Amino acid sequence: MNGGVHIAQEDLALYGMGNLQGEELARVRTHLQSCAACQEELSTLAADLSLLGLGAEAHPVPAHARARLLESVQDEMEPAAVSQVHPITSLSTTGRRRTAWIPWVIAAGLAVGATGLGVKVNTMQQQLQERSRMLAQSQQEAMRSREEAARSERVLALLKAPQAQRATLTAAKTPAEPTGHAIYLAERGELIFQGSHLKSLPEDKAYELWVIPQNGAPIPAGVFRPDRSGDASVVMPPLPTGVPAKVFAITVERAEGVAKPEGPIVLSGVPMPGA
Amino acid sequence: MTDDSDNPMGLPLRSQKNVPSSKRGEPVDDDLLLRRVSQKDSSALTKLFDTYGGMVYSVALRVLHDAARAEDLLQEVFFQLWRKPESFVSGRGSLGGWLLVVTRNRAIDILRRKRPTESVDDNLLASAESLASEVEREAMMQQVRRALVGLPAEQRHILELAYFEGLSHTEIAERTGQPLGTVKTRMRSGLMSLRKALQA
Repeated sequence: MNGGVHIAQEDLALYGMGNLQGEELARVRTHLQSCAACQEELSTLAADLSLLGLGAEAHPVPAHARARLLESVQDEMEPAAVSQVHPITSLSTTGRRRTAWIPWVIAAGLAVGATGLGVKVNTMQQQLQERSRMLAQSQQEAMRSREEAARSERVLALLKAPQAQRATLTAAKTPAEPTGHAIYLAERGELIFQGSHLKSLPEDKAYELWVIPQNGAPIPAGVFRPDRSGDASVVMPPLPTGVPAKVFAITVERAEGVAKPEGPIVLSGVPMPGA
Repeated sequence: MTDDSDNPMGLPLRSQKNVPSSKRGEPVDDDLLLRRVSQKDSSALTKLFDTYGGMVYSVALRVLHDAARAEDLLQEVFFQLWRKPESFVSGRGSLGGWLLVVTRNRAIDILRRKRPTESVDDNLLASAESLASEVEREAMMQQVRRALVGLPAEQRHILELAYFEGLSHTEIAERTGQPLGTVKTRMRSGLMSLRKALQA
């Protein structure tokens, strides 16, 4: 023990996180060597603090990260297989002395070598099987990624295709009204918007889409003009990441677009709860 | 020991033995997977990656603020697990808790351009809370976030500067413009509140 004087909890916490340096670090480390109470408190603090990482905003793992890890693992395993082949080749240099007993030694060596070779072949076969399995797994993953990418491309092409038939379903006998549908993934800053039955605009005017965050100014998300049938789409405009939308809105602005909304709002919508 | 020496800081204790039995230790699955990793079964590693990869990447990204470096660290952590699965000792907490500690410490090392070996103490305990299932991770994530949101803003900020940026008291005082004594008091209060909230 140390005369009843303990390290303050906040110092122990910083020590546990590796944030202390110099004299402070030395003082805490020395004290801990002889104080069971502070050691226990440090352990408890470390357990609490270890969970703080869960307070970080959750992000998905990058798509290719898993395959990259598998590649590293495969690369690491290959040299091991090569190094096991070496001792076998050195056997051929052992039998060059011209003595009468050498054939027996060679025979015994070959017997031992053959046994060893059998074990090595087994090991190599296992490694080969393992690598084949990993390769098959990687190929399956690559195929899945290609299929997903191809599907995504088809979805995008469909959304953008001017010749695609579009329909907004409403209650019977209701006149068609301008509508817009926005799909927005804030964490990636990705947005797809589709408008229908939008009124045509004079040449010097255009519609402008806005992402309006909880706090801060509206973010411009694309300028567009509808086609003859009143349809329009905005696909993946450049947007900042990590800004959830409180409201989406469409205004009528100058044809070249504006940085802050000035014209009248013609459409607006609040994201559905739970999104 | 006296009561005082059992709890020198006068804080509520949350030792490993107080963790509910259903949450103690590590699920058999993680133990099995680690054993398979030590036998060089790459499919076991990918299962662990699928379980904990998002959590590791999120912590790395929060500290480093750089997607490329965070992904490199993600690779480093799991490749290290592949090469030295024995680095994790189950008696020191759950695999999920340990991965959080390893990732955070290494990310701070990178941030401060320190070599990995300069970390203070690799033998520290991580939380024993299991994070092996999505439900467990989500529940614990919510609990930690509630605990952080429940703290006064100044206390939360100081804890975040220490944890996610690796700052010392002096550095926090310089960064925030608060007196050193105030920083220490707020850090202590924040730790106390955090422990209570995690016990709840």
